[in-house]
Amino acid sequence: MTKDLSKVRNIGISAHIDSGKTTLTERILFYTDRIHAIHEVRGKDGVGAKMDSMELEKERGITIQSAATYCSWKDIDINIIDTPGHVDFTVEVERALRVLDGAVLVLCSVGGVQSQSITVNRQMTRYNVPRIAFVNKCDRTGANPVKVTEQLQEKLDLNAHMMQIPIGLEAELVGAVDLITMKAVYYDGDNGEIIREEEIPAEMLDEAQEKREALLEEISMFSEELMEALLEDGDIDTQVIYNAVRKGTIDLEFTPVFIGSAYKNRGVQAMLDAVEQYLPCPTDVENLGLDLDNDEAEFAVSNKDEDPLIMLAFKLEDGRYGQLTYVRTYQGTLKKGDTVFNRRTGKKVKIGRLCRMHSDEMEEIDSCGAGDIVALFGVDCASGDTFTDDQISCSMTSMHIPEPVISLAIIPVDNKAQINMSKALNRFTKEDPTFRTFVDHETNETIISGMGELHLEVYVERMKREYGAEVEVGQPQVSYRETITERAEFNYTHKKQSGGSGQFGRVAGYMEPLEEGEYEFVDQIVGGAIPREFISSCDKGFQKSLDKGHLCGAGITGVRCVINDGSFHAVDSSDVAFQLASVGAFKEGYLKAKPVIMEPIMKVSVEGPSEFQGAIMGSINQRRGMIIGSNEEGLYSVIEAEVPLSEMFGYSTTLRSLTQGKAEFTMEFATFKPVPKGVGDELIKAYAEERKNS
Amino acid sequence: MADKEINVKNPLQAIGFEAKDGAGLQSMGLVMARAGLGKTAILVQFALDCMMNKNNVLHISIGEGVEKARSWYDDIVKLLNVEAVDVPELMSKRMIMTFKESNFRKAVLAERIEDLVQQGIFTPECLVIDGFDLEAASREELEELRAFAEEIGVKMLWFSAVSHRGDERMSTDGIPAPCHELDDLFETALLIKPEGDEMQLKILKCEACAVDSGTILTLDPSTMLIQQG
Repeated sequence: MTKDLSKVRNIGISAHIDSGKTTLTERILFYTDRIHAIHEVRGKDGVGAKMDSMELEKERGITIQSAATYCSWKDIDINIIDTPGHVDFTVEVERALRVLDGAVLVLCSVGGVQSQSITVNRQMTRYNVPRIAFVNKCDRTGANPVKVTEQLQEKLDLNAHMMQIPIGLEAELVGAVDLITMKAVYYDGDNGEIIREEEIPAEMLDEAQEKREALLEEISMFSEELMEALLEDGDIDTQVIYNAVRKGTIDLEFTPVFIGSAYKNRGVQAMLDAVEQYLPCPTDVENLGLDLDNDEAEFAVSNKDEDPLIMLAFKLEDGRYGQLTYVRTYQGTLKKGDTVFNRRTGKKVKIGRLCRMHSDEMEEIDSCGAGDIVALFGVDCASGDTFTDDQISCSMTSMHIPEPVISLAIIPVDNKAQINMSKALNRFTKEDPTFRTFVDHETNETIISGMGELHLEVYVERMKREYGAEVEVGQPQVSYRETITERAEFNYTHKKQSGGSGQFGRVAGYMEPLEEGEYEFVDQIVGGAIPREFISSCDKGFQKSLDKGHLCGAGITGVRCVINDGSFHAVDSSDVAFQLASVGAFKEGYLKAKPVIMEPIMKVSVEGPSEFQGAIMGSINQRRGMIIGSNEEGLYSVIEAEVPLSEMFGYSTTLRSLTQGKAEFTMEFATFKPVPKGVGDELIKAYAEERKNS
Repeated sequence: MADKEINVKNPLQAIGFEAKDGAGLQSMGLVMARAGLGKTAILVQFALDCMMNKNNVLHISIGEGVEKARSWYDDIVKLLNVEAVDVPELMSKRMIMTFKESNFRKAVLAERIEDLVQQGIFTPECLVIDGFDLEAASREELEELRAFAEEIGVKMLWFSAVSHRGDERMSTDGIPAPCHELDDLFETALLIKPEGDEMQLKILKCEACAVDSGTILTLDPSTMLIQQG
């Protein structure tokens, strides 16, 4: 039986931390009969919300790993990925957006568009994800969905319009007027499960009429039929309006805004209706694959069950059922027992079991088809791998993965911890491409690196809890870089002709700063000054030199090495000789090319009551931060600044004590910038000391 | 060289604006135009000129976000194409403050600036106030802001104001409504107006300029930079 893909929605729920998206997901599961009782995120019953399946998430009340779940609303199958809100975990958000067709952007009706909403929105734009907005927490004091909608327009540049107006606000919130059906909708029953439709209260009728007209005028640009109907001034078919909104939303030209309070059980069902009506089904969006047999030419996947299979692994989890691999099927059908190919490794994989996940519970299924999101058992792969059958050789487009900016040394306390730590690191690096690990050969320490303090902190805790690996943690270290600022020439001869077989190679040329990219090698050798077979040896030698700079031992980036002369010896020249000559040449040129140390600069956004603005700005200034600006919105202000990461350690504690715990901050990597001279001198001195002692 | 390139295109230089010697507020200026004609672009060019002359600029944007104001600077610096200038260094001479229309008052601004100055974070030498509603503002409010600027040692203070197509009222200096009755408070007033396919910048009044009132400069409508030649 062919599945009707028009009845499938793959959606993500994304938002700023603490906007209530996990609570919203909990309500969705309740109203779609997937769970039979509601547990709050920080509820007194101690059960925690369904989607926060990791212990740590339940304890902290934040969502760290996105869990996939499946539910049905009316006749629509919905796959939901709950995504984390903290900026340190945005790779999770990005992965979710990569495989989803639509998203719900959750906003707090008091906080409005916050820093993380901006990040998430940018990510949605990057992956062309159509979105609807849900203004949550309308029961809170100070709730103002109109203001939030204006912020969506101004700050996120979205053509956002309210599809409903609230009936009552703050503690008085009881329901909403639907501007399309022109009915008042109330949510009755203990859990708001009984929907009651009434006539619009008389005192709200004029406002509703006015808002509806404005809305229809706005969306008429997406539908000629609607435009004509408006000009004719007659009755307008509701379906025509739905179609216009749907078209605008899918074309990323319109963002419908819904309101409610998940916590108070208001408005969630209307949002679910909107998911059905306005968000795209798998065939509404174009997903591109890369044809590996045709020089990675892009092609649109078909979304057809009968076509060759293409699946993307977007998430790995090591749970109580063993390794789970979450995949999105773009076309074809996968049955239990089928054999598929991992296109990255070329290995054949037999699919033993597949299931639909409902947070940490599972439901075994026999097959899945185009558009489905399911989990596979016992498949060895990395996140981002593409699986296909033997009829097609392709890869789904690669994902944007940011470079880590912070690292930490971890030392296992005993032998058992050492073994467990290795297992844990192996798993985490497969699960999360922004989490990296390596052994520093000089200190013999294991180094983990990632996107922020909290990011690493969470992995250290997971190591302890899930793998029983007790580790001692060193001080967080900033990932510095070194680069050159001037062009410099080199001409180096490597000669070792005493005893045994000799080594000889001369490499000459220049190095210069590279505007974009990390490294470039240019061969301008003419007349065989360096034989062809040793050109790649020169490249290798330069690349080896990039690993550790001479100032503070950080990796070197932004260098173009050009070779234009050299000499060789008929007997003594070899691959190794030219590699060593290039290492020497690099060092010679590097020290003349005015190298500098670069540090990661974070874009920091601090939100807090306006009365603390001065104190917050002072704290940023003390941290070598450059304040870009402040945005004052009544009682609350947002200060935006660029601050070196090395100065941000422990900032949350400082901020808390400065503002009586009323301010919060988020940060994300912005760029690398040269360190000031004083800081650079310190780093150079420390590195010299370290080398002396080792 | 870089400075020279900028000077050629900079409206302030083009009108021969000469800052007076000595301390204190040297000019309170006004850029007027109908909505959407590019007042912010002109103000940002004035601000960049101040920054190039090593003065700190506090850009106050009313009703717009920090990012939007910032992008004006980024765009205009790109258009000016001044490779020799250290852009991050230049931008460290600028701070943006944004307020909602209903929140902007002299008292709040004074408090914020005091915070910055006292902690040694930023001492503004030029103030650009974009989006202040001069139609709704009283004469007293404007006088207060002027006095405040003088008090904190600001050298230049620039405002933008929206004029309306149907409103013919005008001061003797030629300053259109809604600023026609506030004309005596400004030493400099410029008007942006479209003329056929051109965009013109008309000097309505300028006490410190080398050119006479009534002089017209041509702006490139796509960039809002002064057209050369």
